[in-house]
Amino acid sequence: MTIKKRTIEYNDQIVRQFMLASIVWGIVGMLVGVLVAAQLNFKFLNFNTEYLSFGRLRPLHTNAVIFAFVGNMMFAGVYHSTQRLVKARLASDFLSKFHFWAWQLIIASAAITLPLGLTRGKEYAELIWPINIAVALVWVIFAINFFWTLGIRRERSLYVAIWFYIATIITVAMLYIVNHLSIPTSLTHSYPIFGGVQDALVQWWYGHNAVAFFLTTPILGIMYYYLPKAANRPVYSYRLSVVHFWSLVFIYIWAGPHHLLNTALPGWLQSLGMIFSLMLWAPSWGGMLNGLLTLRGAWDKLRKDPVLKFFAAGVTFYGMATFEGPLLSIRSVSALAHYTDWIIGHVHAGTLGWNGFMAAGMFYFLAPKLWKTKLYSTPLANLHFWLGLVGILLYVAAMWISGITQGLMLNGADSKGILNYPNFLETLQSIRPLMGFRVIGGGLYLIGFLLMAYNICMTIKSGKPVNGSFEVEEEEPTAERLTLIKTLVSPAFLYSAGLTVFSCMWLMGAGAFSIAGLVLVFMTALLAYAHYQKSGANFGKWYDKLLENSFPFTVLTLLAVLVGGVVQIVPLVTVDRDSIVEDRMQVPYTPLELAGRDLYVSEGCYNCHSQMIRPFVSEVKRYGDYSRLGESVYDHPYQWGSRRIGPDLARVGGKYNDSWHYDHMLKPEQISPGSNMPSYPWLFKKDIDYSALPSKISVQQTLGVPFENWTDQEVIESAQSQAQEIADRLSEQGKEIERDREIIALIAYLQQLGKSEDLRVDMAKAKTTNNL
Amino acid sequence: MKEKNISEEPIRHHSYDGIQEFDKNLPRWWLMTLYGTVVFAVAYWIYYQQTGIGLTQGEELELALATIEDAKAEALASADEVTDESLWAMSLNTVIVEAGKQVYTTTCAACHGPNLEGGIGVSLADAEWVHGGNPLDIRKTVYDGSLAKGMPAWGPVLGDERVDEVVAYVLSHHSAVN
Repeated sequence: MTIKKRTIEYNDQIVRQFMLASIVWGIVGMLVGVLVAAQLNFKFLNFNTEYLSFGRLRPLHTNAVIFAFVGNMMFAGVYHSTQRLVKARLASDFLSKFHFWAWQLIIASAAITLPLGLTRGKEYAELIWPINIAVALVWVIFAINFFWTLGIRRERSLYVAIWFYIATIITVAMLYIVNHLSIPTSLTHSYPIFGGVQDALVQWWYGHNAVAFFLTTPILGIMYYYLPKAANRPVYSYRLSVVHFWSLVFIYIWAGPHHLLNTALPGWLQSLGMIFSLMLWAPSWGGMLNGLLTLRGAWDKLRKDPVLKFFAAGVTFYGMATFEGPLLSIRSVSALAHYTDWIIGHVHAGTLGWNGFMAAGMFYFLAPKLWKTKLYSTPLANLHFWLGLVGILLYVAAMWISGITQGLMLNGADSKGILNYPNFLETLQSIRPLMGFRVIGGGLYLIGFLLMAYNICMTIKSGKPVNGSFEVEEEEPTAERLTLIKTLVSPAFLYSAGLTVFSCMWLMGAGAFSIAGLVLVFMTALLAYAHYQKSGANFGKWYDKLLENSFPFTVLTLLAVLVGGVVQIVPLVTVDRDSIVEDRMQVPYTPLELAGRDLYVSEGCYNCHSQMIRPFVSEVKRYGDYSRLGESVYDHPYQWGSRRIGPDLARVGGKYNDSWHYDHMLKPEQISPGSNMPSYPWLFKKDIDYSALPSKISVQQTLGVPFENWTDQEVIESAQSQAQEIADRLSEQGKEIERDREIIALIAYLQQLGKSEDLRVDMAKAKTTNNL
Repeated sequence: MKEKNISEEPIRHHSYDGIQEFDKNLPRWWLMTLYGTVVFAVAYWIYYQQTGIGLTQGEELELALATIEDAKAEALASADEVTDESLWAMSLNTVIVEAGKQVYTTTCAACHGPNLEGGIGVSLADAEWVHGGNPLDIRKTVYDGSLAKGMPAWGPVLGDERVDEVVAYVLSHHSAVN
């Protein structure tokens, strides 16, 4: 056999494009972040215009930094490192280009639709359905391009970075599609197919794992490539890579319900969310250890090399955030921290510290290579590092203090159940200075990022784009093929699957079934132990073989990430809805109330107001009886919320009169002195879209909401006559407004919040009837 | 403890684009952390979910509310009863009225006006009372609200003492003759 040598050029053009896009969108996303943070302290920054109000811009900030900044950065890193790790040029230049431009188009359309108030009303899943389809398609393109490249690889064995990329691609696809299932009512509006608690669970299964598989696993992969490269040191421990990879992808998926602790979510799901979050601590720290300890023997390089500085700090922030996460998932800690700024601080330790610093490190590493030159200025990069670091610390510390302060104030009640701070606004006033410090911290971070943009611009100017290349010796692949069947009958898989299934039997079953599960768990564990005592080395060989076979590897990853979702979501979405309502059942909306609800969603009210009263003395005293499952059963999408910059609204209906809401929406600070809620003058000018209602109601009927079978005409007439009633009432109270203004619909919605049927009465009745 | 020379550690021979990996054992404390959280998880699950020994959140709340009721009953037994006369008396006590003013400003002024002149809510300065003008009637209105008119029930939020204070403040603008 003759060995032919030839040179292959990497597709680095696409890497350069994604990298520059990430920097540009990063600036935009962070700028919007600083603006929305400042809006909380300085109301005038809402500019009294609908397109710039906090409720619409906050989703723009989150979507921009997650999908545009980190998304583009991830694509740059994945495409650059994968080509080198598998020794192959990206499979398709066309798909790469398509991927890039379609992704930028998606971002641009998000930046237009969100300020217009076009939203699905679910956090980090706000984009409207046509964009959702585009995202799913582009993701599939990305997947094809990636796996195709794996298919033509010359390096048979998959490096740990590639494992993380595989997990990212398949899991994000699964999460994104399930959480975006919806039925359109128009070209720009849809209702999610899940409602109430089901929607809440699916949303946080997605939301939590978007953090896991969009902001964590791809970045871990990037860490595993660039950190040892930059440090020029071997990775600390391969075994740790294996164990922490598999435990991470398996456990992460289960932890979503920790976003819903102490809510109406059924207790068993809350418990699962909490315990899996705790178990996630070690797997996460495995990544941190492998990153930091790879720097052993290279610590002196940190002084000189900004790339390593950013990596070391980024990985440290990762460790900090992944310790804080499990801590916040403890039910009693969540009782204090949920709905407060502590969560905002936690997220930013992860995004600014981990994602942002890893991105900066990677960009400083890549720019000189991709443009074949030297970094323009190392002192400037160092300045960026210190500005960023001080910025993050200021930000995170301010949010810790703010969150704990507001949490303690809101939860504080004396032995007679009397609230220490009955006025919600008092708690807001106390954290205002801290909100100010956040703006300063975020601002410093942004300045640092701008320095980087300048530095990289100047670097690019001094060089010119050069594509990497490598020499290959064309050989017949010598890899040993491992079929999927063979993988699934391997001891490693069988023991793991057995332990998972039997543990579920033991812990979720009852009676003999549970005992059988316990026995089987012990037997499997013993058998596995004995097996590996005898032939432990075989596992290593088998795993090496698995690494040469990307298809079975991908299937195993898919199975690992499927289990958690299936166990948690399937029971909840397949049960009869009536059996999980507890003792209250929501009264379906009238057409006008539904129109008002859609305005509530569209204005992004959920960004500051929850609709979920937790079963604590302080909350029951402040907001009324705690929320039951049945009370949001018809809510598509659910609006339980995640942050209380303003008070909970679950039972605000009937608490004040219409005139109060009228004044409050127009000039909140006059009714609630010191309030930072924006004014909504446009609701008093724009007309209710009655014509959209029939199609909305028919979609809701499809989803199982028991609306009556009205004709289109009846729907519109009903809405108009209810609007007239409210307009008349307002007129009695001295407010003259036309019937058809949006504010009327919003008041109709707000005034029915908390209305429910008390099923205890019905059940009691049913019992007496049965007895007769 | 002397660090072992790194170059003596076991290393995997495969290299990916120049990256090598040590084949080191898992750090023991790390492994113990993992096992520890797993053991805790199982114990927690059995305690709260499988055996039901741990209280559900609804039960926890009921317990807390019951304790509060007990404390309230105890306090009620030893406290003087609130009467029209006692509220009038409070309205003459400047310390109480000043405290009531504070509550009024943060809670009531938005609707009833900074000087009780009314606004979204009715005037509290005139002699007209929708729900009765006796001190105890006023107290009841503050405490339970009037949902039909959009007056929230402030009793649970403010608590007895603050309600009495704010009633005393309102009464301080009137005289017993009215």
